[in-house]
Amino acid sequence: MEEQLKIDFEKLLEKSNFSKKNIEIKRKNFNNFIEKGFPNKREENWKFSDLNQIISKNIKNLSFYNDLSKPNKIDQSTFIAGLEHNKLIFVNGRIEKIEFDYEEKNNIEILDDLVLEKPNNANNSLLFLNNAFVSKFFKLIVKKNYSLKKPLVIYNITNKDLVSKSVNLKFDILLEENSSLKLIEFSNDKSTTNFININYNFDVQKNSILKNYKIDNNSNSNIKYYFNNISQDTNSVSEIFLLSSGSEFIKNEINCNLNGKYASAFVNGVFLLNGSKHHEIKTNINHLVENTKSYQLIKSVLEDESKAVYQGKIFVDSKAQKTDGYQLSKAILLNENTEFNAKPELEIYADDVKCSHGSSSGSLNEDSIFYLMSRGLNYKEAKKLLINGFLLDVVEKITDSEIKNLIKNIMSLKQ
Amino acid sequence: MREKQIDKLKDYKYGFTTDIENIRAPKGLNKEVIEFISKAKKEPKWMLDWRMKAFERLKNLKEPNWQKPKYPKIDYQDIYYYSAPKSTSEKPKNIDELDPKLLETYKKLGIPLQEQQRLNGIAVDAVFDSVSVATTFKDKLNEVGVIFCSISEAIQKHPELVKKYIGSVIPLTDHYFATLNSAVFTDGSFVYIPPGVRCPMELSTYFRINASQTGQFERTLIIADKGSYVSYLEGCTAPMRDENQLHAANVELVALDDAEIKYSTVQNWYPGDEDGKGGIYNFVTKRGLCKGINSKISWTQVETGSAITWKYPSCILQGDNSIGEFYSIAITNNHQKADTGTKMIHLGKNTKSKIISKGISAGFSDMTYRGLVDISSKAKNSTNYTQCDSLLMGNKCGAHTVPYIKNKNPESNIAHEATTSKISEEQLHYCQQRGLNPEEAVGLIVNGFCKEVLQQLPMEFAVEAQKLVGISLEGSVG
Amino acid sequence: MLKIKNLKADIDSKSILNNFNLEIKPGEVHAIMGPNGSGKSTLSNILSGKKGYKVSGEVLFENKNLFELETEERAHKGIFLAFQYPLEIPGVNTNIFLKTSLNAIRKANGEKELDAIEFLKLVKLKAKNLKFDEEKLNRQLNVGFSGGEKKKNEILQMSILNPKLSILDETDSGLDIDALKTVAAGVNSLRKNDNSFLIITHYQRLLDYIKPDYVHVLMNGKIIKSGGPELALELENKGYENFN
Repeated sequence: MEEQLKIDFEKLLEKSNFSKKNIEIKRKNFNNFIEKGFPNKREENWKFSDLNQIISKNIKNLSFYNDLSKPNKIDQSTFIAGLEHNKLIFVNGRIEKIEFDYEEKNNIEILDDLVLEKPNNANNSLLFLNNAFVSKFFKLIVKKNYSLKKPLVIYNITNKDLVSKSVNLKFDILLEENSSLKLIEFSNDKSTTNFININYNFDVQKNSILKNYKIDNNSNSNIKYYFNNISQDTNSVSEIFLLSSGSEFIKNEINCNLNGKYASAFVNGVFLLNGSKHHEIKTNINHLVENTKSYQLIKSVLEDESKAVYQGKIFVDSKAQKTDGYQLSKAILLNENTEFNAKPELEIYADDVKCSHGSSSGSLNEDSIFYLMSRGLNYKEAKKLLINGFLLDVVEKITDSEIKNLIKNIMSLKQ
Repeated sequence: MREKQIDKLKDYKYGFTTDIENIRAPKGLNKEVIEFISKAKKEPKWMLDWRMKAFERLKNLKEPNWQKPKYPKIDYQDIYYYSAPKSTSEKPKNIDELDPKLLETYKKLGIPLQEQQRLNGIAVDAVFDSVSVATTFKDKLNEVGVIFCSISEAIQKHPELVKKYIGSVIPLTDHYFATLNSAVFTDGSFVYIPPGVRCPMELSTYFRINASQTGQFERTLIIADKGSYVSYLEGCTAPMRDENQLHAANVELVALDDAEIKYSTVQNWYPGDEDGKGGIYNFVTKRGLCKGINSKISWTQVETGSAITWKYPSCILQGDNSIGEFYSIAITNNHQKADTGTKMIHLGKNTKSKIISKGISAGFSDMTYRGLVDISSKAKNSTNYTQCDSLLMGNKCGAHTVPYIKNKNPESNIAHEATTSKISEEQLHYCQQRGLNPEEAVGLIVNGFCKEVLQQLPMEFAVEAQKLVGISLEGSVG
Repeated sequence: MLKIKNLKADIDSKSILNNFNLEIKPGEVHAIMGPNGSGKSTLSNILSGKKGYKVSGEVLFENKNLFELETEERAHKGIFLAFQYPLEIPGVNTNIFLKTSLNAIRKANGEKELDAIEFLKLVKLKAKNLKFDEEKLNRQLNVGFSGGEKKKNEILQMSILNPKLSILDETDSGLDIDALKTVAAGVNSLRKNDNSFLIITHYQRLLDYIKPDYVHVLMNGKIIKSGGPELALELENKGYENFN
């Protein structure tokens, strides 16, 4: 693979028009990646999901150069219907459309010619890979006191032309003081066996609100990694909802730093898996100052041979008195070969805090099924009803009612 | 309000040294030392061979480094692996022949060995540095067929049992410290309860490290045969020294069909001084195998001592319907560090496990609960319940909870709960209004916090443990 | 017994009590009535030694400066507070708590500590007088107790510790009429020539059963009027708002 990487990297530099500064940074990142490679289970963070093995098992002849010179056709049928929204459309990793029809143009800015950051000390090899191979790095700025009137949907569409490629995307999103954004990330994949690596950096400033809904619902054979870095200032709110269901493998990593007093973070997620799918959510919520709050709720329903992993960590700095941190994960295993792994972790250095976590996993309650059947439902209906009830509770946490309804529709939870 | 003078110096009442003449193996870890130990114990060849196998294996192993407390590099060539009071080179036939200095030591520790002063209903095996110096109530236990003696004696007198079970729960190759122990273990207790026998009294081992620059490598093996029951207790103390001493024990438990073993520990090794100087490194491997159907192993631990504690008493639930339990109180103060918890490995059908862990950290200390619950795909209809509660006192200390939960069986259920909190001002005020001083109030509230675990200890030890909980936190409020 | 002169109390630089004066002599029962936020609970907190207040003025208990004593030392000297919201302390057995408390106070006063048997005898007797279910004494302190049981438990503790000055902070709130009568009977049985009471309440109701010698009306941090039991009735008729 190393040979391929080197060839593809040089090809990328040759065909693109990067600044000197960016080339230098890309080389550093590239060398770091070559040194570390894909993460494997010997790393604590990847203990339950050996990415190196998953990639070599699922992807034959992975290549890292992606020709973005020609535009791709946008399949309009993938658009979300019944919801007025702004669009950022990527097809096979290429930006095809930027459309903010509903917004005041002077209150929004999009930059795409940015200097990359130097290799960070986080030692995350997938970020090295991302920085080395990403072709355009976008930044969206929402100006002070502006709230987007309609949600922004980032479409990540892949079609059957994309096979065994490594796709890297990178976004920075800055919410200036008193601003707000509802962001839906919507994936639609018809491609096969690609490795898609997406890096988001959210900077949520004073009194701002970020709502981020990530929807991955149609079945596909891609391997995906998301790294979401969120930095929150005083009195800001972030709300993340994940529907993790469609791709063969997804690991969603969320690193959230609560840097300002009264900042709060909510992470809610649903794993709905079948076949041999293997999904993971890993969170690091860092309470760094007084009076911050975090809440995490993750529910999984697992069928066939699927596997779900939840690694959730709450860190409380010694300065972060009056922290309120809560974490709960629940899983229903429907088949003999399913597997649920959890590592709910607390690391606490302040004494005046309220932190708790809970985790449970097991089968559907047979007594409840029996009760429903005695009221006339058949086994399948009874099971469906119970599972929907189990999941609905997470979806109900979504604070935007329009998007809540959309997600209920997508998950066929409408009652 | 008036400033209260609180004596910050923690009084470790077991910190005295017994001045006694020793026989020691030369310093260092090598073949000769292992041969020395084996010879001193008059071991048969198979035992020496087994030790050598472990020693060979050790060369390829590295010390683990994933645990949270880090420690300075240990120079394994700078430790005495064997130290025994000279007077015990021939083990005395009866306790009255024992060196009076030893008798006095155990009396001071609250464990009188002489006939007329023995603790009621508790048989004691007293281990001093590297040897077992006395075992009480042996005859009485013999009457019902219970074997309770030092492991060295068992190797000579019951080789068939030792051979069959030693290393059957903790394999020779398990990990660095377990393998080190297998190579150089010196003494410890051996218990065999024959089929259908309910052991008529509590069995107990009292471990004492006395000599300086000496490691203690004890090995305990308890076998409960079909339908038997035993309750076993261990206590540990060491003198106050400003060097760090290594204690790397292996404890193996085997419960056959319908058998039950209850293993309780009150660990109060010297924790080091207020500034974190000295203290014991307590790196212990404890593992129980529920081999038979309907068997049960229950671990209870009160961990208040040691500079660094690093142990995970575990249960392998192999037999169908077997039960594993882990009840733990761990307290760290000053600069102590603890990384402790359990592993519950569910292999058999209808197996059940329960984990109750109470961690209290004060001063500059650091406490981690680390645990694994693993339900394999064959362990149908199994359940685990885990509850981990942490209490922090002050914001210079840390409390961490790191559970690993793996469920591969859809018919099994795992539930895990954890909380972190502090003693509220209101609770303290309420107790003080009723006349308790702040330290008494904290002691009372902390004992309440630990109650579920304290209840698991045999009566005599529960009272002792309650006091220890209070003492360990002295100087942490005010 | 208790002399309060010019007491001023602030919390977070907000003034709660201001120019507060009160004297209670041995054997007297005083009632303090006042609307929400008038400073009633602050008064009981300060007398019992709760931290977090900035105080000035003078409070003498049996001619000793109360501010020089820690909370538990005040308890040793015979000040008892029946809490408005009695705390739950998980894991701590009620009997053990009571025994520890009683013996801490006895020890501080140079009296012999009671052993388990003597203590249980005492508790049994007192619990019976208060119609307090003995079985509850073996439960965790206040955990799972109803509001009424918690309040009764406070009065039981009071009767066992036999204080010189008992402060009842809204002991009547949350009690039904039967519980109220039992609690009042418990208090009345403790009335002696040398025992004093300070009853803090919203309503006149409790004073039907415990006859006070004096009634004080507390508003905005100071006593605006003092009188006999008839003052409570007047207050009940007029309401706080029209009282001024």
